[in-house]
Amino acid sequence: MKKAKSLRLILCLILVAVELVPIGVVITNSFKRDIDIWARGPLYLKPTLKSYRAVFENSDFRLALKNSLIVATSSMVVSVFFGSMASFGLVRFNFRLNAFLIFLILMLRMVPQITLALPFYILFRNLGLKDTVMGLTVAHTSFNLPYVIALLLPFFASIPKEYEEAARVDGCRPFSIYWRIFFPLAAPGVVVAAVFAFLMSWNEFLYALVLSGPRSKTAPIVVNAFLGQYAPLWGQLSAGATIMLIPVFAITLGFQKYIVKGLSSGGLKG
Amino acid sequence: MSFSRNTAIKKRGLGPLFLFVFPALVVIFAVSIYPVIFSLYLSFTDRTLLYLRAPRFVGFSNYSNVVSDKLFWHSLKLQLSFMVFAIPLELFIGFLGALLFLKDFPLCRLLRSLLMLPVFILPVVSGLTWRLMLQPGYGLLASFFNSVSLGPKAWLADTKYAFVTVVLQDVWRMWPFMFMIIYAGLSSLPSEYLEAAQIDGAKFWQRVFHIIVPLLRPVMTMAVLLRMIDALRIFSEVYVMTYGGPANATLLLPLYIHKQAFEFGKVAYASAASVFLLAVSLALSFYLVRASFRGEVS
Repeated sequence: MKKAKSLRLILCLILVAVELVPIGVVITNSFKRDIDIWARGPLYLKPTLKSYRAVFENSDFRLALKNSLIVATSSMVVSVFFGSMASFGLVRFNFRLNAFLIFLILMLRMVPQITLALPFYILFRNLGLKDTVMGLTVAHTSFNLPYVIALLLPFFASIPKEYEEAARVDGCRPFSIYWRIFFPLAAPGVVVAAVFAFLMSWNEFLYALVLSGPRSKTAPIVVNAFLGQYAPLWGQLSAGATIMLIPVFAITLGFQKYIVKGLSSGGLKG
Repeated sequence: MSFSRNTAIKKRGLGPLFLFVFPALVVIFAVSIYPVIFSLYLSFTDRTLLYLRAPRFVGFSNYSNVVSDKLFWHSLKLQLSFMVFAIPLELFIGFLGALLFLKDFPLCRLLRSLLMLPVFILPVVSGLTWRLMLQPGYGLLASFFNSVSLGPKAWLADTKYAFVTVVLQDVWRMWPFMFMIIYAGLSSLPSEYLEAAQIDGAKFWQRVFHIIVPLLRPVMTMAVLLRMIDALRIFSEVYVMTYGGPANATLLLPLYIHKQAFEFGKVAYASAASVFLLAVSLALSFYLVRASFRGEVS
């Protein structure tokens, strides 16, 4: 039995080690200079912070990082605000339409982004939303809002009816029932929804590629642009990528208890 | 808004619907339903990316052009083979991984959480990392393959191998997704089944194929469906890895649509192709959502 255990451990160690190689590649390359990456082969490593310094001195990257933060945060706030109310309403009030609406919202999570990117491009140009942080926020809300609603449905459904009845007896109006009782009780779900909404927006690339411009580009666009026209700046690219990965890894490791739930309530894709 | 305190929840009328659900519905309509309708409209016009003149209604000609475009069929074939190769591989590795992690051993929690990292990594970063690893001369993977003389020198410049690496990249990133869902399913199985089978003398593989696989079928179906819908949306990782090339060898359907619209300016034409993509993914998600409504999957 003991032998079986250590065999499992060894196999899993190998599996995880192989799996993490690409992540190791980004992180180690972020501590190399562009020139060393081209010239010295993949195994040479003399750690330096030069690439990080270059990236932070790059005003494009700083602006993009700021845009990424603003877009992800605003899309998260909008989606959680409207989404948690809708989720509460759909679960706690029985309308004839509810099943249909839930069905519709669950299906809307799955619309391919490229299908929306085309009309967004034309509509945004007409509305003056092209190359604005606001436009990107709108685009990101198209996948985040249905996702948040879907994720929160089971959280609101699992709260016992007695809370609601007690609140009604005490004279609470519907909005206070939601805001004072259900929202705090569903808080763990709301946090998970918020965090995943942030993450999906943070990782998003296609809308940023099509709808943003010099003023509103987000960090994934700038990281990709380090490929350059003539010679790829792999060191700076890796440094930018590593910076982008910090919140991703923090969220993944910090919220692992909820990850299966988060994943099965709808895709993540960029 | 009327709200009488003593009526049952069911009889409360439309007040709360307007208060709670309506605002979100308005937003959803504005940011996804209306754009989809607009895209449908575009697909029947001759609108180009630059607004040159008022678009004219052209009936189904965009659709018939899409269907007669060889490149479209090429992309569709690539998209299908991408799904046919990547998803079963992810399921298989994920399933084996879940079996490996089924019994506790030291460090198993830590290792399990480390496996989740690739799933959430930015698709762009994943694609770029694979591109870096495959650079001839200084890429880690390329150097390794060359030292065992496997494959060409420049993987991403080879029409056959570029597609293989796109699949590999996806398998690398997404088998842990299958793993997590299957592992969660496995650990929630009642242990009596497995113990009973063990007492009856069932061998390990017998237990796997006659007990675990049938019991996990709903979970695995859901995971595969989610991955299929996801695979129809693949874009950024391939865009940064190969840009659909070389010679369109990795031009998956979303990249084809993107190229038609934003490189060739044929927005109406691209809309017609994207309506097709939308129909397929809505059909799949209809199936998935219906299954979850019936409680067949969690």
